[in-house]
Amino acid sequence: MQEIIKGHAPLIDALTPLCTGEKAIKHTTDLYGNGYHWFRLDQSSKIKDAARILKGYQARLIMISAYSVTDGPEECKELCYHFDVEGIIYNLTVTQNREWPIVPSITPEFANADWHEREIMELYNIKVTDHPNPKRLFLDEKLDAGLLASAVPLSVMMNGASSKDLWERILSEKEQQR
Amino acid sequence: MSISTYTMPLGPVHVALEEPVYFHLTVEGENIKNVELTSGHVHRGMERMAMQRTLVKNVTLTERVCSLCSNSHSFTYSMVVENALNLEIPERAKYLRVLAEEIKRIASHLFNLAIQVHIAGFKSFFMHVMEVREIMQDIKETVYGNRMNLAANCIGGVKCDVTDELLEYILKQMDVIEPQLEEIKDIFTNNHIILTRTNGLGILPPEDALALGVCGPTARGSGIVRDVRRDTPYAAYPDLEFDVITEPGCCVHSRAMVRVRELFESVKLIRQCCNKMPKGPVFNHMGKIPYNEAFAHTEAPRGEVAYYIRTNGTDKPARLKWRVPSYMNWKALGVMMRGCQIAEVALVLNSVDPCVSCTER
Repeated sequence: MQEIIKGHAPLIDALTPLCTGEKAIKHTTDLYGNGYHWFRLDQSSKIKDAARILKGYQARLIMISAYSVTDGPEECKELCYHFDVEGIIYNLTVTQNREWPIVPSITPEFANADWHEREIMELYNIKVTDHPNPKRLFLDEKLDAGLLASAVPLSVMMNGASSKDLWERILSEKEQQR
Repeated sequence: MSISTYTMPLGPVHVALEEPVYFHLTVEGENIKNVELTSGHVHRGMERMAMQRTLVKNVTLTERVCSLCSNSHSFTYSMVVENALNLEIPERAKYLRVLAEEIKRIASHLFNLAIQVHIAGFKSFFMHVMEVREIMQDIKETVYGNRMNLAANCIGGVKCDVTDELLEYILKQMDVIEPQLEEIKDIFTNNHIILTRTNGLGILPPEDALALGVCGPTARGSGIVRDVRRDTPYAAYPDLEFDVITEPGCCVHSRAMVRVRELFESVKLIRQCCNKMPKGPVFNHMGKIPYNEAFAHTEAPRGEVAYYIRTNGTDKPARLKWRVPSYMNWKALGVMMRGCQIAEVALVLNSVDPCVSCTER
């Protein structure tokens, strides 16, 4: 018997044209039968269109997760936006250009995106365009964006003499600078 | 800025809680016109630390994100890993997880309510609420061996079973605490000092609550019917009967009354857990770790806790991200404090049950 996953068909239909890539859409459930819908948008700029569509369904932004993809064909950053519509979760992923990570702000549509986007700017050095209040959230204005990502964890530094971790990190950073 | 307004710094310590957050209040005379805040004093880099630890070790780490919501973090973290691994947990474990969560919720709500009356200057009642809270602290210590971090959850279920004798003990303690909670409810509902200081203060209209995406008692105190336990059911909650408490007043008193009334819902849930708990194993072993991503959220005492994980086939997560309830509720203070007097800042701040350490991680 085919499993029926809870979701809003018109909303899923509206988001589908924004995701034309192979395996760009998937639908999952958890152990309690709650529905999770995953959309990989074609371009970063499409998040603005997606946000407007979700706003029309009284969606609530729960969180924005930024992360680095290190095991793909080339290292890049991605953002995953998690929305809630009547208890069903819609996750929208956008991949960032490696050289110029940039994404439009959705704070005009979802006021609570403000802090998430400011955190992404300062911790991941991703540029968020048209943010209404692009001030630092946690880090002092004098510090460079993405500074914490360049720090070497104490454990890696202390084990640098005996393990390969520190040297491999230096090598990969040198590779990136070329 | 007009000649009659000026910016007043408040903090970074001793604003309701002894946690560092720095307010910039634009005031005109005694009245607050605008609020901005600076945080970042206790950023601990916990998400980065989580990526250097194994999935199993992160249960311990996430339990230390926050003190009052500690159980909710290990609970939600275990759930997100189970979602990524497609790992089912035993029926008994679902009930044991709810049991620990609701015990923590009562203790957390009572702590917030105690601080609320302390700020209001009602010291004798503060001492009384803290004394009632000790019943819950005793339960935690007796059942789990600790007054704060219960270490109850693990990936695949719970670490330790709770014996029938201990379930009986918990039921007896519920009979002890319930009449005392009734007394607390009566005082919160009728006492002149509390009503004078909190009723109609720190208004958050429902439209602002929705726009800012606030959660937990902060949202429900503005009449928003939002509770993850009901909206995205998990653990044993779908099998248990409870009401989602809301209050229409949108003020400090409304938010307090949501917490007061939720105490009784938690007592109801604890009783149901003790009486209906099925027999059986309490955890399942983890299987192979796939390449996957997953999301999970739960209703912590302060509101919704959300976790996102990416696994990469190794025993360390490629990314672990979480969002705590306070993160969503801070911005609402700008709405609540507008028009308030400086002396009322601490009361309004405490009404969102803020946590700085978990906001900054």
